[in-house]
Amino acid sequence: MVASARRQRARASLLAGVAILAGAAGGLFGLCGPFTDVAADVFCPFVLEIFYLGITTGTTATTYDPTGNVTRLQMAAFLSRTVDGVLKRGSRRAALDQFWTTQNASVLGVTTVGNSPGLLSSDGADIWVPDTTDGTVSRVRASDGKLLETWTGAPNAWGVLSAMGRIFVDSSSSGAGALYRIDPSQPAGAVTTLATNLGNGAAGIAFDGARIWIGNSIGGTGVSIVTPGATPPWTVTTVTTGFGEPLGTIYDGSNIWVTDRSQNRLFKLDPSGAILQTVTVGLNPGYPVFDGTNIWVPNFQESSVSVVRASTGNVLATLTGNGLTGPPLATFDGQRVLVTSVVGNRVSLWKAADLTPISFVSTGLDTSPWGACSDGIHFWIALDSGPPGQLVRF
Amino acid sequence: MRTRSGVLRVGAAFLAAAAILAGAAGGLLGTCGPFTDTANDVFCPFVLEVFYLGITTGTTSTTYDPTANVTRLQMAAFLSRTVDRVLLRGSKRAALDQFWTKGAVGNTTVGPSPVGIKSDGTDVWVADATDGIVRRVRGSDLTVLDTWTGAANARGVVCGAGKVLVSSATSPGRLYFIDPLGPPGGVTTVASNLGNIARGLAFDGNVVWTANNGSVSIVTPLNTNPWTVTTVTTGFSTVAGPEFDGTNIWVTNVDLGTLLKLDSTGGILLTVTVGNGPGFPLFDGTNLWVPTNGPLVVVRPGTGAILATLTGNGLGNGLAAAFDGQRIMVTSVDTTFVSLWKAADLTPLGSFDLGAIPNRLCSDGTNFWISMNALGQVMRF
Repeated sequence: MVASARRQRARASLLAGVAILAGAAGGLFGLCGPFTDVAADVFCPFVLEIFYLGITTGTTATTYDPTGNVTRLQMAAFLSRTVDGVLKRGSRRAALDQFWTTQNASVLGVTTVGNSPGLLSSDGADIWVPDTTDGTVSRVRASDGKLLETWTGAPNAWGVLSAMGRIFVDSSSSGAGALYRIDPSQPAGAVTTLATNLGNGAAGIAFDGARIWIGNSIGGTGVSIVTPGATPPWTVTTVTTGFGEPLGTIYDGSNIWVTDRSQNRLFKLDPSGAILQTVTVGLNPGYPVFDGTNIWVPNFQESSVSVVRASTGNVLATLTGNGLTGPPLATFDGQRVLVTSVVGNRVSLWKAADLTPISFVSTGLDTSPWGACSDGIHFWIALDSGPPGQLVRF
Repeated sequence: MRTRSGVLRVGAAFLAAAAILAGAAGGLLGTCGPFTDTANDVFCPFVLEVFYLGITTGTTSTTYDPTANVTRLQMAAFLSRTVDRVLLRGSKRAALDQFWTKGAVGNTTVGPSPVGIKSDGTDVWVADATDGIVRRVRGSDLTVLDTWTGAANARGVVCGAGKVLVSSATSPGRLYFIDPLGPPGGVTTVASNLGNIARGLAFDGNVVWTANNGSVSIVTPLNTNPWTVTTVTTGFSTVAGPEFDGTNIWVTNVDLGTLLKLDSTGGILLTVTVGNGPGFPLFDGTNLWVPTNGPLVVVRPGTGAILATLTGNGLGNGLAAAFDGQRIMVTSVDTTFVSLWKAADLTPLGSFDLGAIPNRLCSDGTNFWISMNALGQVMRF
């Protein structure tokens, strides 16, 4: 009896060993994984992949109905789950095992930086933080939030752009704006002034692969287009026709778009700065973001976000709630859009693929979250609660 | 809250009502988003997601026809758009708001003759053929961080298992080893008996392969020096590559105009005739891209079938290619242009003049990096 039991245990152990060496999936008893109506043929691995990925659940627990037609409704479900699954698995957050969403202000990583941080930009490794009051631009290491460098000589620094291996910062004074450049490979020091003849109230800044575009938010001074040159000053062309108070600028891979806060519009521009298309958005639109398909426009004065299809200019949806209270800016991390709410002292997260709300999180009383960006792993948010100013990792 | 003068109009004009905290989407008048023929049921969110993503536009602006079947032709359109959207959104460039595609965007001076170049994900490693130095360039700002010396006739670079390996075009060829964790100094020579002129190398997760004049060498890493080298000559002339597709190593026979699929011992499993003067092949996750003195040839690895022969778009006598997750960039030996292609559907994206003849190239997932051999620079695109 004992010997028999030992033989059985030994046989079981041996079989388990064989299974380990060969590679096997247990617990599924159909012909193809759990499915009894799918042959173990050349199509089986495809069926199993979308089953294991959660793209399909089968028609029952044990059937897949392989010869059935797919309706457009079912197809939408398959494609939607495919997009979600691939984006989630393909993100840098997945590779780093960081599937969490920050839940409260107490777990935000905080870096003290300047007095009044403005907009933010990531160069892929570090975060660049212009300061509106002390004329500095700070470089913060994204991996640990350490303040690496402080660059000086950029009064009224506001908008920031990482492009061409350099950092560009605009100056948002009430008079003529300026454009500054930082060479991150050099020791920190004074910024280089590239232009001092932008329009008034220079704000959003974007790059189209060749030129830098800046919205000038004061005095009907339009949009400035800066052409890089060998030496400063760089050539500035300012276009005013049709613009009221342009603010946020983005590039969608084909065109520059700019919001106009006084006209409650989003404009699509041609290469010369002429307005190609006008989209009516909400009241007092701020700094938009492009997610690869759609443009998200935060409407500061009506606490909403207009989602605009870049290819057509159609407004797909106007989002409200989810903590939106005075949103000035949106940013995108590959899956999620984060919107800051400077009045509500919180940030709102939305799923970019289906425009559904994820959550909103308080950044703390009187923290006034303004600028934000993503480095592909984290969102970074500037808190205008100082001095001193704070940069938090979300 | 402090007022951001000149940035947003705040204060008395601010009309924010009590926050609606639940979240809502307005402006669409159908039962499911814009669609009047689709119920607001459990399937509606899926329909809306593929609509918002631009994967479907509906059958009209207000109808989706939810019960209709999908033809294989329509399915192809849906899947193609799905792939494009996912790749675009999932790229590091999207998260960094870098949707532009044109123009070189910075360069830095390295040694006199940079050739081999490869990213470790953060930094870019550049092998110089003249001064025997391997340089580490920070990907974010082009700063030359470290210089490693003693790599005579350095050519190819590969990053794997946290280390950097460099092949040498000496005769016999050599393999140099760099541990990026250590302080910069001299490289370690781990093999000095490769085939002659080891111009390229690849790692298959187990051993290192080098492509040489008249041979391929298979190098087994060891804890002590020298590493074990097996050199195979049968069937090889002047060899370029190698490239690993996740299953097999591929090389080109430059003199014979062929692309070769190798088994684990270096035996030739498959020969694909690709045309005159093939350069360094590149795998994009599905297909192999082979620059030649004629067209850019795209090959399906599983079968060896030639899917397409691409011409124009700035192609010259092709040398090397790199893939950034969405796009293929190709350099040529007789033109200052680089040629850019959409990898998913093989369509041209344009050609760009770098001002000098480029050499080899790589991607770090955000930018392409190109060795500008004649300028002594690496260029970030």
